[in-house]
Amino acid sequence: MSEVAIFIEGLSKSYGAHAAVSELRLKIQPGAVYGFLGRNGAGKTTTMRMLLGLVRPTEGSARVLGLDPTKEPELVQILERVGFVPQRKQLYGWATPAELVRMNKAYFPRWSDGAAAELAKRLEIPMNMAFKKLSIGNQSKVALLLALAQGAEVLVLDEPTAGLDPVMVDEILRTLIEDHISQGRTIFVSSHHLGEVEQICDWVGILEEGRLLLESRLEEIRQDFRLVIASGESLPVAKSTDLVSATTDGRFRRYVVAREAERFAAELRGQGATILEISPLGLRELFLHLVRKEDPCTPGNAGAKAVPVSSFS
Amino acid sequence: MYAWKCWRESRARFIFLLIMFTVTALLFTLQPGLEIRNGWWYFDRSEYLHNPLPTAHVVFSMILSVLWCSGFLSAVFLGATASGSEIEPGTIEYLWTRPRTRTSVTWTHWGVCVAEMVIVAVVPIYLAAVLLGALTRHWDFPFLFFAPWMMVIVGLPVLGLTTLMTAMRRSASGGLIYTSGVVVVYAFLRQIVIVPLHLNPPTLFAGPLVWLVSNNQLPYQPSAFPWGSLWRAVFLAAALPLVAQYVLKRAEV
Repeated sequence: MSEVAIFIEGLSKSYGAHAAVSELRLKIQPGAVYGFLGRNGAGKTTTMRMLLGLVRPTEGSARVLGLDPTKEPELVQILERVGFVPQRKQLYGWATPAELVRMNKAYFPRWSDGAAAELAKRLEIPMNMAFKKLSIGNQSKVALLLALAQGAEVLVLDEPTAGLDPVMVDEILRTLIEDHISQGRTIFVSSHHLGEVEQICDWVGILEEGRLLLESRLEEIRQDFRLVIASGESLPVAKSTDLVSATTDGRFRRYVVAREAERFAAELRGQGATILEISPLGLRELFLHLVRKEDPCTPGNAGAKAVPVSSFS
Repeated sequence: MYAWKCWRESRARFIFLLIMFTVTALLFTLQPGLEIRNGWWYFDRSEYLHNPLPTAHVVFSMILSVLWCSGFLSAVFLGATASGSEIEPGTIEYLWTRPRTRTSVTWTHWGVCVAEMVIVAVVPIYLAAVLLGALTRHWDFPFLFFAPWMMVIVGLPVLGLTTLMTAMRRSASGGLIYTSGVVVVYAFLRQIVIVPLHLNPPTLFAGPLVWLVSNNQLPYQPSAFPWGSLWRAVFLAAALPLVAQYVLKRAEV
């Protein structure tokens, strides 16, 4: 598996005047665990659906394992190698999980009966009850089982733990870490549970209104990203390639800086600002700083590296 | 495996239709000899023995007068389980992320439905034919053996239409309602042409069935077979699922 697992170049999807995804660029290396974050309607699900041929892009292109999902023969190969858990985990109501397993295994040459049995046991799935009679949590677990047991090289998981209790969430994360991440499989996961993302992901991308605001290694966020709060009467416009976002709150200005926060703060001081705080950022705080609607926000560092921010108010 | 899933989803409708038409055919077959004795129904085959061939033909006409619609009904009810019907309930995301082309999914469903339609048409009528043969000791019922295949052929365009309508309406109920609507509107418009204008246009694709119904009386005097109507039926049987396949191929969910 030497090719890039997921490669997205200028991908856009519009519904009339509404742009669901806009000029998205992503490059996910094999073995990466990529957390795809964003508010509801940010374009995460549409992006995932484009990767799996459920939605056609308006512009741009995507490759999954080097294959083009807009071409049917290549899409079939993608689907053979990619496990997908959709946001809406709806399967055939009349079928029991055991029947769904039998049905599903016929599609996938690398299907593992052993893994399916082990998952059913670990996730405590009632295998002989009709799917429609299962609780929402159990329905989600069945959808996960089907994706995880198919021996996929890439897992695309759209809110996989929605509706699950904390014990089951922990069990699923452990399963992902033990059975998939440790084997170098690629995972592209969207979730609103940032704690889970921090637990398993090594990369995160934050999407807002179809645009990628930020893409970074999680480790870099922990080690290098800082929140700088400054005050002053007329704060200067900061220009820095390391600046990720800046928001204004009355007389205060909050800067999220990707690296060298002290140098950045010194520059601000030199321009007459008073620095009130320089503090490390968690993923949750970073996410909130980037996507909160009430504060004006800079475009972030879309494109893997922090981009210069020429001006903001 | 998808064929099994199609069978699993359509089997209740299939079994219902098969039982309904088989019971109807058997009731008509046994009806000439039914009489009440001491408050119970008994089958008396004397009528079949006294006047075998005309009785058998009367019975066959009665069977056909009811069962002619089996192809249409099977096509609508079985066709409404086509893959387009999975869009509304949301199972389509599962189906379309299995490593199969949408084309193969469409035609697998079509194949399963055709097999079920053949069984629903053939079993009741062939069973009635065998019973009639056994009761009358005559086996000269050419139209009877011919009938189920005509029912299937004129049912195929309706199956295609239902497949297309489920794809366009994205639901089973939409497929059922819109197919019924198209058939009713077509029949209504045809009646408008026939009655006030005194025209008798050829049937679009149901000609073989009309021919069958009007040619089963004794003595056999078969009129010209409506080949044009048959070819139109074959064309629509292929064209409508192809359009459905195109619609589904372009559909986004």
